[in-house]
Amino acid sequence: MPKLQRQQYYDLTRDMNWHFRYVDEAEVFPEAMSKSLGVPAEEWWKWDEPYKLTFREYTYNQVDKDTGIYSIKSVTNRANLYEKLDSGWRSAIKAHYGAIPVPEYLASIGEARMARFGRAAAWRNMATFGALDETRHGQAQAWFPYSLIDKDPQMDWALKTLHTNEWGAIAARHLFDDMFTANDAVSTAIQLTFTFETGFTNLQFLGMAADALHVGDMEFGALISSIQTDEARHAQQGEPTLRVLVANGKKAEAQKMVDIMFWRSWRIFSLLTGLSMDYYTPLEYRSMSFKEFMEEWIIKQFMDQFKDLGMNTPWYWESHFLPELDWYHHGLHLGVWFWRPTVWWNPDAGVSPAERDWLEEKYPGWNDTFGRWWDVITENVRKGEANKTLPETFPVVCNLCQIPIITPCGHAIGKLERPIPFMLEYNGRQYNFCSEICRWIFKEQPERYHGHLSIVDRLLAGQIQPPTVEGALAYMGLTPEIMGQDADNYQWAFAERKAAE
Amino acid sequence: MSQVRARRRKATWSLWTERRMPSEYEAVTYRYHYHFRREPAPFELSPDWSINQWYLKYREGSAFNVDDWEGVRDPYRYTYRHYVAARHEREVYVDNLIDEFERHDHDRSLDGAWLDFLGRVVLPARFPLHALQMSAAYVAKMAPSSFVTNMFHFQAGDEMRRIQRIAYLAKALALDNDRADLADSAKARATWEEDADWQPVRELVEKHLVAYDWGEAFAVRNLVVKPILDEFVNVEGARVARASGDELLALMLDDFQDHDTRYSRDATRAVVDHALGKNPELRGVLQGWLDRWEPLGHAAAEGLARLFASAPKADPAEAILGRVGERYASWLGDLGLELRR
Repeated sequence: MPKLQRQQYYDLTRDMNWHFRYVDEAEVFPEAMSKSLGVPAEEWWKWDEPYKLTFREYTYNQVDKDTGIYSIKSVTNRANLYEKLDSGWRSAIKAHYGAIPVPEYLASIGEARMARFGRAAAWRNMATFGALDETRHGQAQAWFPYSLIDKDPQMDWALKTLHTNEWGAIAARHLFDDMFTANDAVSTAIQLTFTFETGFTNLQFLGMAADALHVGDMEFGALISSIQTDEARHAQQGEPTLRVLVANGKKAEAQKMVDIMFWRSWRIFSLLTGLSMDYYTPLEYRSMSFKEFMEEWIIKQFMDQFKDLGMNTPWYWESHFLPELDWYHHGLHLGVWFWRPTVWWNPDAGVSPAERDWLEEKYPGWNDTFGRWWDVITENVRKGEANKTLPETFPVVCNLCQIPIITPCGHAIGKLERPIPFMLEYNGRQYNFCSEICRWIFKEQPERYHGHLSIVDRLLAGQIQPPTVEGALAYMGLTPEIMGQDADNYQWAFAERKAAE
Repeated sequence: MSQVRARRRKATWSLWTERRMPSEYEAVTYRYHYHFRREPAPFELSPDWSINQWYLKYREGSAFNVDDWEGVRDPYRYTYRHYVAARHEREVYVDNLIDEFERHDHDRSLDGAWLDFLGRVVLPARFPLHALQMSAAYVAKMAPSSFVTNMFHFQAGDEMRRIQRIAYLAKALALDNDRADLADSAKARATWEEDADWQPVRELVEKHLVAYDWGEAFAVRNLVVKPILDEFVNVEGARVARASGDELLALMLDDFQDHDTRYSRDATRAVVDHALGKNPELRGVLQGWLDRWEPLGHAAAEGLARLFASAPKADPAEAILGRVGERYASWLGDLGLELRR
């Protein structure tokens, strides 16, 4: 091996900062792309990544990691492992594959923006690794489901989802474009790498990896744990960026970036991870409830780290966020199951008697609230009237997170004062929101959002023809073999005991 | 319709439209940029949001556009894992080279005049090479198709590889020869910012960073700045290194030239050939950018020729400039472009 250790020459791999003479510095780092908030150039040069890495080490590490995951894939393919997986679990990984691979690939664009417009060479190097990492994640997470399309046509949506106007796809694009594909470098470091990757992808990737190993899905488990090792490294671009901002009196600006993206991430992960963990994963393999995962990974570990950096919990923490842990994703689950033809996976009701016992144990009071609605659904299914459990109308959608508004549900179970959406008049237009926080985010930066049309706005504007459920399904790109159905063909409704009794 | 076809063919993306099955490379590269030419704006935010406007102006609005960019192919068919495996091989090779030369105490065999040259020319080259890493990232993030984007992610990685090996040498030489100045960041920056012969290079490099139209960014980086810097740093650098007995540096630079530069040039050709194949009139667009940047490129090449001529036993600047100019013009000619003064 070469005689010098990395730390002996590392500084010389990242000292390429200079003063611009032939072009204006502000032109090299325009605010729209860079957003350096007036922090002077040489202050940015102090940017110091906690996780240090050279290109040569990168290639050594990554080759080993890829050898690992692709060899597992070839073994599991031969073993026809997919067919043996529980149908609910298959729904969980299809939801994941539709929502995650292409956005992860697109995160390479956010990383490349930091690799160009980040204000320090050290940062640009880390972001260059990040861009390569995200290319890896996009490609591996597409290649795995790609190999499963002939076994399951819904796997096609691993590539297709983001090309459609399916409502979840709109929500995913709105979030991820806001977070990285169409975000400036500094905000991307704070919002993508610090808030989202350090906090929430831990939840999805480590949590789902743990469940995957219990379920026996070695392929998915190995894939996402391997990805998480890259995330753990490139997510560390957030901390040094935050340190530069705080040292230069920009703590309030940084705090706001976190507050905004924490809430947005919570919204989408309630939808994706919340349903997977508490309803789709087979009961016997669940390691923790979604709420327990949130408490362990977000509330405790992430926020400890956050406070160590001198930051505060988001202003809505006690008043809005913590109370939602008990109900929000349960409400979404009810909605997604009901509107199941509008998603690319088969929602698992997950409310057999044994599962209801588990829900009641993890979320005391579940039977008296959500359980009562599921009682009605169960009765209809048992009477052979499953058609009554299918949608004939549209939900109202939030103009910020683009997820259906479930304030009536929150009100009915005593969590919200009023059932009506949160509203705002802006520039002569009315906007509807699912929560006070989504409305706050919109008000803080209307320039990012005001001209966007939600799927309901498009319906009202005549862009969806005919304006019926069928017309909307076609607009969303859903074809009959893709439209979600009950994952278990309603077997749960005929299980022996009705737990609510 | 596509569903019927998809079922008959079995197992491929419904978005894939060709009759043949895609390769793995194509399956993980085809149509990942859902946002290119999306209506009413690329990204799912307000159409007037600044970054939507940036892409509409500099990408969708670029003169360098064709009806379909999904047909571009990396000549090496690199997916991430194949790229990383290929570069891992090169990095093992370079590690072995360094190891072998260090075993013979190579660093201490170099003379002072050569070390002075390294300190003035090769080691500060980290700065312009880093700018190439930045512009590769810019083209990657602006390109209309992942087939193009990925080739630029990989080129950004390649720049990092070269810079970091130069950084290693800087430190090793400084330690072995008791020449702390060679590993002094402030001195390298001062050379880059103040040395008269570096200034035309710096002017070209700084200005190329603000060419924001995606087509122009591609053209100025891959048809002007990178080929010029590679010709000097890799090719002329290896030549003067051999003349001064620095075979280690020469072999390393050969490796960058034979693999990374070749990759970049083949990628460049793939983009140019695809574009001109779709629309021959784009030759005029590329030529227009080449012509516009030629004066700055030429001044930079003159500065670099003077810098490399300052190496011990080097040829005169005019001779270096002449042969670099010939190789550069010949490469452009192979692409169907001209170096016009």
